[in-house]
Amino acid sequence: MHTYLQIIKGTIEEYTTYRVSFILWRVRLVVQLLVVYFMWWAILAGHQELFGYTQGAMLTYVLFSSFVRPFVMGTRTQEVGELIRSGNLSNYLVRPMRFLGFCASRDIADKLLNVIFAVSEIIVLYVLLRPQLFIQTSAVVILLSFVALVMGMVLFFYFSLLISYLGFWTPDVWAPRFLSFVFAEFFTGALFPLDILSAPLYLVSQSLPFYYFIYFPLKVYLGQLSSMAMLQGFLIGIVWTAGLWALERIAWSRGLRAYTAEGK
Amino acid sequence: MFMRYVRIWWMLTVSSFMISLVSRFNAGVFFVGKFLRFLFFLIFLLTVFSRTETLAGYTVNQMVFFYLSFSLVDTIAQLFFREVYRFRSLIVSGDFDFALIKPMNPLLRVLVGGADPLDLGMLPLYIAAVIYTGGRLGDVSWVNVVFYFILLINGLIISTGFHILVLALGILATEVDHAIMIFRDVVSMGRIPMDVYHEPLRTTMTFVIPVGVMMTFPAKALMGLLSPWMVIFSIALGLLFFVLCLKAWHYALFQYSSASS
Repeated sequence: MHTYLQIIKGTIEEYTTYRVSFILWRVRLVVQLLVVYFMWWAILAGHQELFGYTQGAMLTYVLFSSFVRPFVMGTRTQEVGELIRSGNLSNYLVRPMRFLGFCASRDIADKLLNVIFAVSEIIVLYVLLRPQLFIQTSAVVILLSFVALVMGMVLFFYFSLLISYLGFWTPDVWAPRFLSFVFAEFFTGALFPLDILSAPLYLVSQSLPFYYFIYFPLKVYLGQLSSMAMLQGFLIGIVWTAGLWALERIAWSRGLRAYTAEGK
Repeated sequence: MFMRYVRIWWMLTVSSFMISLVSRFNAGVFFVGKFLRFLFFLIFLLTVFSRTETLAGYTVNQMVFFYLSFSLVDTIAQLFFREVYRFRSLIVSGDFDFALIKPMNPLLRVLVGGADPLDLGMLPLYIAAVIYTGGRLGDVSWVNVVFYFILLINGLIISTGFHILVLALGILATEVDHAIMIFRDVVSMGRIPMDVYHEPLRTTMTFVIPVGVMMTFPAKALMGLLSPWMVIFSIALGLLFFVLCLKAWHYALFQYSSASS
């Protein structure tokens, strides 16, 4: 346990060593949020309600998605593909620790920093922009939102690792990740709530794991899902998580057999 | 001198294309990704218009044209300036020294030394879509078409300025990766016309950070919504911005410490 705590500590120190890079990373996340926020604010101007969302509900969705997004999708697992490709993975395999634990610790550090800074950034933006926010008061719904958030986080962790594991079989690790970014940008609901899409596209989105990264936790928080839809969402999310976990285990063991430490 | 630089650029571009196309799988996946990214935002735009007739007075055709003009400028910029994304490694390793000692302007090497063939592949699609959608906007005079092309070039000059600014920051702070993505995110606001946004954001994003002049004005000129005086003002603003960015580059160049070399 001490080893993994040291990894978390080391990762945080690594982030804060390059201060300009760190500041620009945070600026980038705020800019990303503001781009979507201002776009929706402009689109909703003159509308009492659009796609079933009031201005308050939509801006709450957008503002909170900026918290959910880095919490769920903030990761260092994209480095794994490069470690495999360069042969540097060998350095980690010989260390007395589990590689999965190493990756998880790096991700925890990333998310810790994200949460601390995202909360303060959202507070500052709230004070500056004064949007009408929807605050959930039901403790049960808040708890369920948190469970959905953790589920999304675990799901994304395995999803991202699996893409990196492609490095065991191909040196082209960036192209599949870029493609996953493009799909994630659209199907996670980072830009808009997925239920504004046409019925067939919404159905497609529901069948993909991206649905559970941002959209599902936020919809649970907003209290816009019926008990049945929520139950269905959690069940499918758990099936996805279990499926990707099993795939990750298989890919890791088969990948290690294919791994030749090429480049070392 | 100019022809010499054209020849150098051509050689660098051919090499860059060969490197990018070594892996057909990689190139294919990137190409599909770029197409899907374009398509997904278009779907989003059409989805918004499925519930509203106009946005800030613009029809769905006009809005799609704004998005296509944005995609055109953005893609040409990425096609030429892809090397900027790789600049940080040159700085932190000290390998930028090799660009400095060569008998050519180092800015050319780090700005346009690695063109991206995948963006070139997307260009015919955008050009065809711009012509098709532009033809559906109604009566468009030849003067407005000329203004459109002039302002597209002006947009590219501004985009060049932004990329030079990122390179300057790369030298001063050894940071490029986040800076270039902040630029991309800010510029992405130009996917819809600046008129849609509320004040003071609209004016700031049009004249202070000239994303509006870069992305919105060309399409507005084609639609006849921009006066000739505004066209002249936009060109002056674009050139002024470019000169200021060049000055920032020269300042940064003097601060280069050749660390790690």
